[in-house]
Amino acid sequence: MATRSQARSGKSNWPIHLVLIAASVVIIVPFLWMVLTSLKTVTEATQIPVKIFPSHPDWSSYAKAFEKSDFKHYYLNTAFSAFMKTVFPVIFSSMAAYAFARIRFPGRTILFFVVISVMMVPNPVFYTPQYLLMSQWGLVNTVTALWICSLVSPFATFMLRQFFLGISKELEEAAILDGCNPFQTFRYIMLPLVKSALVAIVIIHLLWSWNELQWPLIINSSPDKLTLSSGLATLVSMFSTNYPILMAGAFMAVIPMIVLFFIFQKRFIEGVAFSAHKG
Amino acid sequence: MNSKSRYVWAYAMIAPTLLGTVLFWSWPAVYSIYLSFLKSENFGLVNHWVGFANYERLFQDPEFWRNLRNTLYYAVLFVPLTLVFSTFFAVLLNAKIRGLSAYRVFFFLPQVTMPAAAAMVWVVLFAQDYGFINYVLGTHVAWISDTRFAMFALVIVGVWGAIGLNMLLILAGLQGIPRVLYEAAEIDGAVRFRKFRYITLPLLTPTLFFTSVVLMIGATQIFDSIYLLIGKTNVALPAVRSLVYAYYQNAFVYYDQNYAAAIVDVLLVINLILTGLQFAFQKKWVIYD
Repeated sequence: MATRSQARSGKSNWPIHLVLIAASVVIIVPFLWMVLTSLKTVTEATQIPVKIFPSHPDWSSYAKAFEKSDFKHYYLNTAFSAFMKTVFPVIFSSMAAYAFARIRFPGRTILFFVVISVMMVPNPVFYTPQYLLMSQWGLVNTVTALWICSLVSPFATFMLRQFFLGISKELEEAAILDGCNPFQTFRYIMLPLVKSALVAIVIIHLLWSWNELQWPLIINSSPDKLTLSSGLATLVSMFSTNYPILMAGAFMAVIPMIVLFFIFQKRFIEGVAFSAHKG
Repeated sequence: MNSKSRYVWAYAMIAPTLLGTVLFWSWPAVYSIYLSFLKSENFGLVNHWVGFANYERLFQDPEFWRNLRNTLYYAVLFVPLTLVFSTFFAVLLNAKIRGLSAYRVFFFLPQVTMPAAAAMVWVVLFAQDYGFINYVLGTHVAWISDTRFAMFALVIVGVWGAIGLNMLLILAGLQGIPRVLYEAAEIDGAVRFRKFRYITLPLLTPTLFFTSVVLMIGATQIFDSIYLLIGKTNVALPAVRSLVYAYYQNAFVYYDQNYAAAIVDVLLVINLILTGLQFAFQKKWVIYD
């Protein structure tokens, strides 16, 4: 395919490649710098003139970042709340989206509007009342507070409804004739048909929860209740200019998502691009 | 199956999402507006209705106007720059070259990177004395602590993070333009730039408009990179402080939740206007499609 179109255009594309390679290098410089700095000594990291490569890689900053802050808990809290904030919204939203798309019931339009109307509201609007709610329930500074408000996802409900709307009626009618109740029709006939949308929803929720900063920062302050994001913020105030430790911490925080991204590149790119079309 | 039992199934299936949304999202949104008309004492145990007093105070506060201006200034720099770079790279990638998927991965990497971690490495890159950026440029600029440059530093980080995704959205838009149009133009002898100007750009306008509204909504909510790139003790903070940052400070550092609620409700109005634009436009888009 590529060779044919190249043959057709009749000339080489090397100027385009040159520009794209240069841009790719610029884009990955921060990642390289993160790794390089994490392997330097403090002196090397703040040396003038700038020293690009460490004279020999010093891995001790990783151990220091891990031990001197509570990285074990950051990982556990982030992974656990990302799990909760992904699995539950996917289950709840797919059920709701199916009902909103395929079953006629009184109040359908207004109830759907109630759910999706919150998508227009910027997140910070919710934080103070959510904080007050958490404090009323005695959940401030708990791992539960990290995920409980995100058990449902209006966004996922909206997106999945679009997909259910696009499926033809015949399969569903056959299922109903066979005596399936609406839940069985949903679970065994319709859900498998929107699998690719579900994968996209899983990826985008995983990514959002993993990277979220503001809510974890607001709701929890004990070191063992922080996530990777809010933990990094603490790391900055603990080691203000100890760049190797900070970069080791940053690297440890980003690497799980980057590894997942490299394994499932296509799914990730599709998932994120798909989510951009919300609204 | 009769329709009544179908209703019961439907209500059961929407119940978790509906109740969760109302409890955790709709009610807080309404309560946030209510809070902006109160004056709370004793950590919210005593509340007085004060009408528009919080808004009056807000609109007389020069710091609020500065924060609003910062937020809009950020958006006005960030959105066009992201669009220009994304369109440029999308056009290059649309030339049917080899290695598309490799470039896509590199450009997309910032999108999967935690903004907090990204901001931290940019702090190191932007450092005045031993930073890589000043080293490469041969300059000695205090990128993040000089009030004249802090905003640019913030915009650079933002654009770096946004190109990957937006380039792909624009690329998808480009691939939707029928090839026949270009072939017709080639017969007429149009050169590359004229093809871009008179075919690509007009047909790409819906994509560009949609992308810019989404980018604008995101830009007005900037917080993470200010918190970690600029930081709370930085002298340049007033030059970049956004509405959301001011909200965070007022609500959770000064514990003035009512004043903070007024700030964030201004943001809500801005976002509703932007969403309205998006909806109005989508309707138009569907007709022309």
